[in-house]
Amino acid sequence: MNFHLFFLFFLVFLAGCSKPSEKIVVATAANVQYVMKEIKAAFEKESGKEIDIVVGSSGKLTTQIREGAPFDVFVSADTKYPQEIFKNGGSAEKPKVYALGSVVLWSKNIPEAELNIDILTDDKVKKIAIPNPETAPYGEAAIQVLKSKNLFGKIEKKLVFGESIAQTAQYITSGNVEAGFNALSIVLSPEMKDQGNYIILDSTDYKPIEQAAILLNHSADSPKKETSEQFYNFLYSQKAKAIFQKYGYK
Amino acid sequence: MNPEPLWLTFKLATITSVILLVLALPLAYWLAFGKFKGRGIVESLIGMPLVLPPSVIGFYLLLAFSPSYWFGAWIESVFGLRLVFSFPGLVIASVLYSLPFMVYPIRAGLQSLPPSLREASYTLGKNEWETFFKVLLPNCKPAILTAFVITFAHTVGEFGVVLMIGGNIPGVTKVASVAIYNEVEALNYGAANDYAMVLFAITFVILLLVYSVNNRLLRVRQPS
Repeated sequence: MNFHLFFLFFLVFLAGCSKPSEKIVVATAANVQYVMKEIKAAFEKESGKEIDIVVGSSGKLTTQIREGAPFDVFVSADTKYPQEIFKNGGSAEKPKVYALGSVVLWSKNIPEAELNIDILTDDKVKKIAIPNPETAPYGEAAIQVLKSKNLFGKIEKKLVFGESIAQTAQYITSGNVEAGFNALSIVLSPEMKDQGNYIILDSTDYKPIEQAAILLNHSADSPKKETSEQFYNFLYSQKAKAIFQKYGYK
Repeated sequence: MNPEPLWLTFKLATITSVILLVLALPLAYWLAFGKFKGRGIVESLIGMPLVLPPSVIGFYLLLAFSPSYWFGAWIESVFGLRLVFSFPGLVIASVLYSLPFMVYPIRAGLQSLPPSLREASYTLGKNEWETFFKVLLPNCKPAILTAFVITFAHTVGEFGVVLMIGGNIPGVTKVASVAIYNEVEALNYGAANDYAMVLFAITFVILLLVYSVNNRLLRVRQPS
């Protein structure tokens, strides 16, 4: 009797384990992490389904996806990385651009009136933070701005490289650097409000930062397939567009 | 492959190990034979880097070294030095991070010596420092060698702390472990493999050397 009871519980337990989870995981580039919180809330409200968000640099997330990380949608900071995944067979659909990003120059202590790209050559600016241009599109754009103004050679020695846009923001807001480059969406987020001053850089000085997302592969009978597609489509909806614009995306 | 990150890694590991050897000898002696209150507290503090995640050390150092906080501001005003994103900053961080790896083996070595060795030395008129340098230390060479090499290897393997306070500056703070991380992120698996293979091989050779040497020394001390 006892054994049978135990066996019954065991079966119930197993059944609980194997209930397919429909909760999807969205791999998110660091520069979109704050806006994604709002998108997630709007999506969950509309669909009644839950999603999880994993934040990292686009490069790191791409590596993880390539090596089999169980993500369902990848919201990248550029188009290059999702394209890479598409080429490697990680998705059946080409990546689509969901927003255009803007670069800002940001400082904790320099007043807004004095803040401009030329102040970076000043002696009082000892260190300048920039997202690693090899893996972060905003870092790449910042280098293009510096080169177009012929400032790169003059300030090259002052540069320190954040692993992602988020670490770069941390270097700036902790006061470890006098100024740094970042994404407009980060300085506009509630989390970063009142953390110093920023100016938006002229977008003609860098190649447009086209941020694309990609729907990752699912087997036809995966319980996550439907929610993933629903969320992917939501990213391009008018509702999502309005939220992206609030955070400075074009 | 750019050899700079590797060279920087070994420079950091060498400087850290030498500084720690100088600091750890008196510290290990004090811990081995000293009688003092609060021993548990001192031992816990020294051992903390063994169990703390490097991100905890990195986070506090980032704040401590920042010119926005008193310590960083003080260093910058007195020495004109900003420790965060600099090689000296990495050295200080590594010294903290590798401290127990130097102190513990030396202390264990000192404690494993027979008490009669010290007693004989005192009886023959040697003072405490002479006894330490001329009698005790030469008798625990294997322990010192082990401590030095493990510290070196541990510093070569440092990653989390450097990632947080280094700023990834080529030739200044971009050590091999961080270079590997970057190459993987940039999807350059070939370059990452080049660095990783060198670290893999060198670490193995270092450890092989120390264990072979130690085995020989220990055999001499215990004739069968």
